[in-house]
Amino acid sequence: MRRRVVITGMGVVTPLGHTVADLFTSQVEGRTAVGPMTRFDARTLPTTFASEVKNFDLTKYLKDPGRYAYCGVNTQFAIGATRQALEDAGLLDPSSGDRGRMGVYLGSGEGAEDFPALVNSIAAATGGDGKVDPAAFTRAILPVLDRRREPELEMHTTVGHLGHIYALEGPNVACQTACAASSQAVGEALELIRAGDADVMAAGGSHSMLHPLGITGFNRLTALSQRNDSPTTASRPFDKTRDGFVIGEGAGIVVLEELEHAKRRGATVYAEVTGYGSTADAYRMTDPHPDGKGAVRCMAEALRDAGLNPTDIGYINAHGTSTQANDSAETAAIKAVFGDYAYKVPVSSSKSMLGHLIAAAGVVELVVGVMALRKGVLPPTINYQVPDPECDLDYIPNAAREKRVDHVLSNSFGFGGQNISLTVSRFTA
Amino acid sequence: MPSPPRRAVVTGLGVFSPIGSSPAALWAALRTGTSGVGPIRAFDASALPCHIAGEIPDFVAKTVIDKSYRRSLNAMARTVQVGVAAAQLGMQDAGLGKGDVAPERIGVEFASVMGATELPDLAGASKLASVGPRQPVDMDRWGREGAPEVPPMWMLKYLPNMPACHATILFDMQGPSNTIIPNDAAGVLAAGEAFRILRRGAADVMLVGGSEAKINPLSLSRFNAFAPLTRRNELGPRAVRPFDRDASGTCLGEAGVAFPLEELGHARKRGATILAEVVGYAAGLDRGVKGEGFARVIRTALADAGVQPGDVDHVNAHGLGVPELDRFEARGIAGVFGRDVPVFAPLSRFGNAGAASGVIELACSLLALKHGELPGTLNHDNPDPGCPIRVHTGEPRRVTKPFAVKVSYTDLGQCAALVVRRWEE
Repeated sequence: MRRRVVITGMGVVTPLGHTVADLFTSQVEGRTAVGPMTRFDARTLPTTFASEVKNFDLTKYLKDPGRYAYCGVNTQFAIGATRQALEDAGLLDPSSGDRGRMGVYLGSGEGAEDFPALVNSIAAATGGDGKVDPAAFTRAILPVLDRRREPELEMHTTVGHLGHIYALEGPNVACQTACAASSQAVGEALELIRAGDADVMAAGGSHSMLHPLGITGFNRLTALSQRNDSPTTASRPFDKTRDGFVIGEGAGIVVLEELEHAKRRGATVYAEVTGYGSTADAYRMTDPHPDGKGAVRCMAEALRDAGLNPTDIGYINAHGTSTQANDSAETAAIKAVFGDYAYKVPVSSSKSMLGHLIAAAGVVELVVGVMALRKGVLPPTINYQVPDPECDLDYIPNAAREKRVDHVLSNSFGFGGQNISLTVSRFTA
Repeated sequence: MPSPPRRAVVTGLGVFSPIGSSPAALWAALRTGTSGVGPIRAFDASALPCHIAGEIPDFVAKTVIDKSYRRSLNAMARTVQVGVAAAQLGMQDAGLGKGDVAPERIGVEFASVMGATELPDLAGASKLASVGPRQPVDMDRWGREGAPEVPPMWMLKYLPNMPACHATILFDMQGPSNTIIPNDAAGVLAAGEAFRILRRGAADVMLVGGSEAKINPLSLSRFNAFAPLTRRNELGPRAVRPFDRDASGTCLGEAGVAFPLEELGHARKRGATILAEVVGYAAGLDRGVKGEGFARVIRTALADAGVQPGDVDHVNAHGLGVPELDRFEARGIAGVFGRDVPVFAPLSRFGNAGAASGVIELACSLLALKHGELPGTLNHDNPDPGCPIRVHTGEPRRVTKPFAVKVSYTDLGQCAALVVRRWEE
C-alpha cells in the first residue's frame, strides 16, 4: 500500500487576506484586491496596477524580526504563511515530533535586485557611444551594494530560513518553474512523503515581482493586462476581452503529512492529496501549446495517480490567467480530458480576484480548492462579461455557488512549459 | 512480494568546465594537476577584491547548439547557454536523439538559479533614468522612455527554468520538468529528485543537469560584496585550498553539465553504455551548521542505498576552501566515515560553480569510477586540524570499492547526499 498524504495545516499571505479564512471569504464574495501600484511609482509604465499584499507585519510572526529585516518580501511572506500553517497543524512547537522527518519544499521566487544601485551603476559606466565599461560598472556598484541585503537575494535563502526558524530538519528543497512552481513543490513534497523521505512537509511557495524590473520585464513580453483605466476588472479569465494577467504577490503553505502520522497525533485532516501530474509542453518558451497538449496529459496523469475518473471531479480550480493563450488552451485541454463532462464540471479562476501570484499562485489556489471542498461553496470567476466561443465552459461566472464536491482538480502551468495538476479529495478513512 | 525497485543508471555525460569541455578532456585534466582557476578574462575585473575564477575557456554556444535551434540563442544568457549545450552533449553521448525515447517518458531536472542581467540590455534605460550615484531612479523617465529600450525578451534570458525549458524543446521531452534552485546544494537535490522520479516510474529517462555562469560584472560584484571569496589573487591556481590550514576563501567557477539518468531495463534494451548507477539519496537541513545534521543526511543516503560506510571508495566533497564551511563539511563526513574513507574535492581546480557545482563535482566521481582511478585533490597541502578527514592528494589512487558518495551543502546548512555505484554487469 502506498503511503497516503493528507493536509493538516494551511497558511497564506495574500492580497486578499493574511489568513486562510479571510482569503476564502474574499473569494466567495467575489472581492478583488487589484489597485494602483503603491510599491513603487509605476505611473508611466504600460501597466500601472497590481494585486498587492497590504499591511503585512512580520512582527506578528517572529520574535526576532530584525534578523530577517534584510530579506525580500518574498521571504517575509513565506515566514508568515509557514507559521500559520504549522500553528494550524499543531506542529509549531519545535519539540513536537521528529523534526528530522519534517522538511520544506518551496516553489520559490527570486529576490529583487537593488534597482537604484543597478541602474545608477550601469548609467555611470555607459559611455556616449552607449557601450558599458564593465570595470567602471564594478567600481560603481561595489561600494553601494548592501552587504546585508545582497545574500538574501540568493535562491536558497527563503527555504533555508524557513527550516531554521521552524526547526524543520528534513529535506529542504526549492524549485523555480515560474507559475507552476508552488504546485510542483506540493507535488514533489507529496512524493517525498510517499517515498518515505519525510513524514511531514511544509510545501508551497512565495513570490513577489512587484518591483520595477519585474513589471518592466513582463510588460516587454506583453504578458500583463494594460487596462489601467479599470484595474479591478482587468483580470477577467475566460472573458473574450481579456488582455493579459494581473500581477500579484504572496505566499502559501500547506502542511502535508503522512496519514498514519497525522492519525497518531490526532491531527485535523482538511483533505487528502490524492493525485499529482507533472509534464512539459516541450513547445515554446512562453506560449502554451495551443491544444494544451501538455496540460491534457498532466490532468490525465493526476487523475490516474489518484485513481479517479473525470466525472469524480466536482470542481476545477483553473490556472486561468486571463491571457488569450492560456485560457483558450486550458479550456481545450479540459475538454480533451473531460469530454462531455467538461461542460458540466464547474471551473473557476481564483486569479480573477487575486491576480497572478506567479511562483506562489498554485499553492494559494490549492488552498482555495481545499476550502471549497470543506465549505461546499465554489468561488466564482469574476469580471466575466463577454463569452468567448473558444472558452465555453461553466466558469462559475461572477457569483459563488453552493455545491458539495468530493474531489477538486487544481491546475498550474508555467512559462517554460511546465504543467502541474493536483487533486485533493475529501478525506475518508 | 513487492517488485524490486526500478534501477537508475547514468548513460552519458556532457560537460563544459574550466578544465575540459568533454568527458575525456575533463578526465585528462583531473588525472594531472591541471587547474582552470586564474585571472578573469571575460572582462576587466581587476577592481574587484577577488578577480580570479574558473572560466570555461572554449565555450562558443553556436558551435554546439543544434543548427535548427541557434536562433533561440539570442534569448539565452550564458548561464542558460552552457546548460543547454551540456544537455545537447549529454544526450548525444548517451546516443539519445530527439524521438528516441517516447516523449512522455523522458523528462528533465536542472539545477540552476536566476541569471544576472547583461549590462548592455539595461544600458539605454539606465542612462535615461539615472539621475546620479546614490540617487533614486527617475521612475517617470524609466517608465516613459527607459522601459521601451529594454529588449522584449530580456526577462526570458535569465529565468532559472530556461535550461530545462530549452532542453525539453530540443529533445521533445514531455515528462516531468523541474528546476531546483538552492545554490550549492541544487545539483545533488536535482539528481536525487530525478532518481526518485525514475524509481516511482513517472519517467524512463531523466536528463539531470546543472548550469551556472557567474563570471559577469553583476554577479561577481554581488558575490564580492557578501560571499567568502579569497583575496589571494596572486596565488591563482593555488588560491582555493580545500580543508587546508591556509584556506583563504573560494572563487567562482562556471560549468554546464548534463547526464541522462535512465531506468536500467530501458538502457539495456537499447544497448546503452552504462557509466554508473545511482543507488541512494537523502536531503536535510543541518540547523546548527555544525555537521551533525550533515552526517545524518549522509547516513540516511547510505541506508537508502543499503550500503555500509566500509563499502565506500571515496567521498566526493564540495571542498570550498572556506575554513568555517570546510570544517562543517568535514565534521559531517567524519561523523559517518571518520578518517577511514578518502575524500576527494575537485572544486579547487575550477572554482565554485554554485547551482552546477553538485553536478560537475559528481561528474568527476562518475569518471573516477569509470576509469578505476581517483584523482588527487589539488591545493590540500597542510591539513586543517579542524577538518578531521583524510583528503586524497597527489597521484591518482586505484578505486578499490564499488561506491562513491557525493555530498553537497549550502552556507545555511541545506545538505544533500547521493550514493553512486561503479558499473559492473
